[in-house]
Amino acid sequence: MTDPTDSDPATEPLEEATPRKVPDPPRPANAVTAKRAPPILPTTGWTAWLTMLLAGVMCLLAVLTLSASMAANRLAAEWRSDLAGVATVRISGTRDGMTDRIRSVLEVLRTTPGISRVRVLTDEEQTALISPWLGEGDILADLPVPRLIDIVLDGAGPDAGALQDRLDLTVQGALYDDHAAWRGPLASAAGALERLALGATFVILLTAAGVVAFAARATLSANRRVIETLRLVGAEDRFIARSFVRRLAQRAAIGGLIGALFGCAILKLLPGIDEGLILPKVEAGQRLGVSLEPGLVGWAILAIGIPLIIALIVWLAARFTVQLTLSRMP
Amino acid sequence: MRSAGSAIVPSNEQKQTGKAVIQLDKVSFGYDGRETLTELTADIEPGSFHFLTGPSGAGKTTLMKLLYLELVPSRGRFTLFENDPSRLPPPKIAQLRRRIGIVFQDFRLLEHLDVLQNIALPLRASGQDVTGHAEDIMDLVRWVGLEHRAHALPPQLSAGEKQRAAIARAVINAPDLILADEPTGNIDPEMGARILRLLIELNRLGKTVVLATHDLGLIRSTKGSVEARILRLADGHLAQGASIL
Repeated sequence: MTDPTDSDPATEPLEEATPRKVPDPPRPANAVTAKRAPPILPTTGWTAWLTMLLAGVMCLLAVLTLSASMAANRLAAEWRSDLAGVATVRISGTRDGMTDRIRSVLEVLRTTPGISRVRVLTDEEQTALISPWLGEGDILADLPVPRLIDIVLDGAGPDAGALQDRLDLTVQGALYDDHAAWRGPLASAAGALERLALGATFVILLTAAGVVAFAARATLSANRRVIETLRLVGAEDRFIARSFVRRLAQRAAIGGLIGALFGCAILKLLPGIDEGLILPKVEAGQRLGVSLEPGLVGWAILAIGIPLIIALIVWLAARFTVQLTLSRMP
Repeated sequence: MRSAGSAIVPSNEQKQTGKAVIQLDKVSFGYDGRETLTELTADIEPGSFHFLTGPSGAGKTTLMKLLYLELVPSRGRFTLFENDPSRLPPPKIAQLRRRIGIVFQDFRLLEHLDVLQNIALPLRASGQDVTGHAEDIMDLVRWVGLEHRAHALPPQLSAGEKQRAAIARAVINAPDLILADEPTGNIDPEMGARILRLLIELNRLGKTVVLATHDLGLIRSTKGSVEARILRLADGHLAQGASIL
């Protein structure tokens, strides 16, 4: 047997490991569990705040774009239903003999299937329709303004071609208009607006997933030494991943909730949210615009649904990124 | 010194079977075309105390990393608790690591956790109920003499206190093997002797201990206190056989 140290061993004897009196610990034995165990990962750091901030901003934007999409959807639906149920007959010509022509048209309309109600607009109503463009005064007397008959349709309404043929035979200058010429493009435009807003919402959610993936990688990178230590004390990667993902998702949910509530507040504070915002009111009781007020279900979707969706996206994106990154770590 | 409590009483499974805890059979390791460890062969028996020594740069830390499964040998056969780690999936590697208590030169305590929470870390990492081990944790805190620092964060501790906390963390899971890589490298000689005494006590409780150090004085100071063997590394080669101190 050789002494590899090439010198005499130290003479100081090793202290025998005998029990000694130890002072009582400053806290009871269960002190280690008395308070809630802190997270395995450090709770501070710029990536934590970045995740919360980005989730908040994404939720805010998603609330605005989704509310716009919901409004466009309502607008399209209102236009479809409002304009689909009514039609107009326009009678052109001078005032001479107008009363007889109106009477004849009404006779034709009352005998046409698919029409439930007809009403001739009064002089005051017609004047109110024209006055925004031509000013006040006795416009109907001064100009050869066509007279209008409002028709409320029954079901799908009459056969437009057949009705027009009958009108042509009965009264010269009477034109049946079921609004099909501009109802379609308007509804189509509203639908396009809805899809555009939905697309923007989707892009925002996709961006959120990408940003979270970056944040997750940055968080992992910043905590690389912690991860190494956790592995060396026996932690499995799924345990480490769970700790990371839970923390990221929690922060995203909190940030998202704040952002969504902020977005809802912005919507609520918009001037005239209960009024038509896209088109002005054209007449008392008639509205061509639509309200951004989303209703009870809409508010719930915006304030709770979006943060939950963002949190879910964050959870999925973070889980995928963390697992991938951990599997590539030596 | 108070004896560590039931937390560190070993299973002694290896000791009972008598099979080597660690077996190295012509194990080599290298990277970037450079071999830093060459054909190392050694058996570490259960319950033994080994010093791994050699000059700086000899490859002690690399060998320790191989032993605690942070690195994988490029050649040769390495078994740990009769398992070939290169054939194990990551979850099994994690389970194998739970049978090892590792003490690092730089302590590797998580700085946002206090002493108690750091000691409990292996329990949490392995999904165990920390509440059920509260007494064990406090026993260990007393054993390493940190009862007055139980709620201090690592930045508030001295190097010696950090290392004692790290030793308590290393044994909370009742491991069969203790790997200590230069555990006295960053602390003063007096505290180094105290750390060494803790490791020797663990060995007396049946733990297999491998302690890497370049401090020959530290090795000499244990003569007569523990039946230690010495593995010498030089230029990536292990001296044939283990000499007895």
